[in-house]
Amino acid sequence: MTIVPQPPVAQPAPNKSAETVDPVYRQIRDLVYKVSGIYKAEEKLYLLADGCARRMKQTDARTPREYWDRLTAAPSRDAELRELLNEITIGETCLFRSQPQLDALRKVILPEIVTEKVKQVTKRLRIWSAGCSTGEESYTLAMNMLEESERLLKGWTVEILATDLNDRSVETAKAGIYGDYALRNTSDLYKRKYFSTVDEKRLQVRPEVKKLIAFSRLNLQDDSKMLFMKGMDLIFCCNVLIYFDGASKSKVINHFFSDLNFGGYFFLGTSESLMKLNDQFHLVHFPGTIAYWKPSLSSGKL
Amino acid sequence: MTTSVNRTIRERVQRIETMPAIPAVFLPLLRLLNNSVDEVKLDEVVRLISYDGAIAAQCLRVAGSPLFGMAQPPKSIKGAVISLGLRRVETILLTCCLGQAFPAKKWALDPAVFWRHSLGCAMVCRKFSEKLAAADHEKAYMAGLLHDIGFMVNCLAFPKEFAMAMERACQEEVPLHEAEHSTMGFTHCETGRVLAEKWKLADDIIAVIAHHHGVGQSQKSQPLVALVHLSDLLCRTRGLGYGYYERRMVDLIADPAWAILLQEHRDLEGVDLVRFTFELDEAVGEIHALVSTVFGLAPATART
Repeated sequence: MTIVPQPPVAQPAPNKSAETVDPVYRQIRDLVYKVSGIYKAEEKLYLLADGCARRMKQTDARTPREYWDRLTAAPSRDAELRELLNEITIGETCLFRSQPQLDALRKVILPEIVTEKVKQVTKRLRIWSAGCSTGEESYTLAMNMLEESERLLKGWTVEILATDLNDRSVETAKAGIYGDYALRNTSDLYKRKYFSTVDEKRLQVRPEVKKLIAFSRLNLQDDSKMLFMKGMDLIFCCNVLIYFDGASKSKVINHFFSDLNFGGYFFLGTSESLMKLNDQFHLVHFPGTIAYWKPSLSSGKL
Repeated sequence: MTTSVNRTIRERVQRIETMPAIPAVFLPLLRLLNNSVDEVKLDEVVRLISYDGAIAAQCLRVAGSPLFGMAQPPKSIKGAVISLGLRRVETILLTCCLGQAFPAKKWALDPAVFWRHSLGCAMVCRKFSEKLAAADHEKAYMAGLLHDIGFMVNCLAFPKEFAMAMERACQEEVPLHEAEHSTMGFTHCETGRVLAEKWKLADDIIAVIAHHHGVGQSQKSQPLVALVHLSDLLCRTRGLGYGYYERRMVDLIADPAWAILLQEHRDLEGVDLVRFTFELDEAVGEIHALVSTVFGLAPATART
């Protein structure tokens, strides 16, 4: 999925009172959730309202109610919903997007997977960034794994597979060059350690980080290719399935389930839900984040 | 738990009463809450609330919070009762009274963090119970509000021992009740129970206080205990915990409490837990604001 990251147009104060939001936005929020699994909480409704405002301009809708009609009436319906989804997820493409997710990964999940795999005498960790877009998530994962390479993952081989449907995204990802906006959550420590300067405004990921990742083009709906993605410990698929219809989504999720090792985890975007599309995965909570777990053989929860 | 530990807890809890200034309306209110709603007279509640001017004013402010369903603070207690219902106003009064009973002090557990968790859990319990047609929503709120009252007992009656437990929990990033157990040999469930019995709280609330970390052990009111147990876990993963990182994965649906709740409330099956989780995040800001209103504690950012 290619969404070229760019700063949102206007960013109002985050704590805008809920009463000032037109009730139509709650209807739109519920529609977006039903179709895509993306849920914009009440306090983030202004983000949804902003996204709608930008689309209203493009579609000449004068009121939120008119825009609701564009979103619900054929023939504009499907295309417009896609455009809106682009708008509301655009800000999520950056490095270190979700700290709670990374905390869960390093504090809870990795120690558990490491303990489990050492029993099987395997010291190989396989991670898949499915729908890696321009590489932000893949590099974030790689840097976090490198941070553990002297501790938990000492003597381990880490492989990160990063795939995207779009060739151009994959090329951008391979280059690993990012500006201020993509790096807004990246600490100075990480910048110094894992990046080199390209020019005044841009940094490039260092080769030792890139070495961990294999970027390639892959269509998640290509069943024959999906069958080869086996033996994963972790799969990340952020804001990609939101564009799929129910049946395709369900198929891809089933692939993910069988591609994961027992005891492996599947992460979606921060405000994204799998809804009830798969009853084999266990929905699990970590502080500030949720994930889907394929129970380990020893847990007795299969 | 040994008899001697039990005796120590009882002795120390006896002394608590002399420490904080419990508002005069508090104990009559608890008795009122034990009655079923049709036995409670409107005038009696209004009289109780109006007895203490400061508490009455605070009740009106709290009733005006979006979390309690009114857009504007009501003008009179009677007005609040009419628009919110008797039971809800009672729970608001209880919330305000607790704020007075345990004034903000420097404790092993930051009072702001404690009240955010208690009030947060009360809200989550109510929202959760609202998804279940047959549940008593205000009872759920009350159970959530009081479930961890034992931590206050620990702060007042076992300050040194509890400070050690708290430190251990933060350092090892383990659940607080586990750290209490390994440090002190007992937990807030036992100390809370002693206080609850002394206050003559209703049996189902006592069951919640005593068993919310081990639902299966409860002889009574298992569905309510299960509801509080699950809400407590949810709070602790969504920014309303005890202010430190709990290093653990929580599988709510596989938790025995889920099955217990499901047995009583079949409609639990239809609850979209992810959406519910996201919805809870919406209330976190309001809860922080409410804690500073009711308990006079400045909002600060807590991580978990």
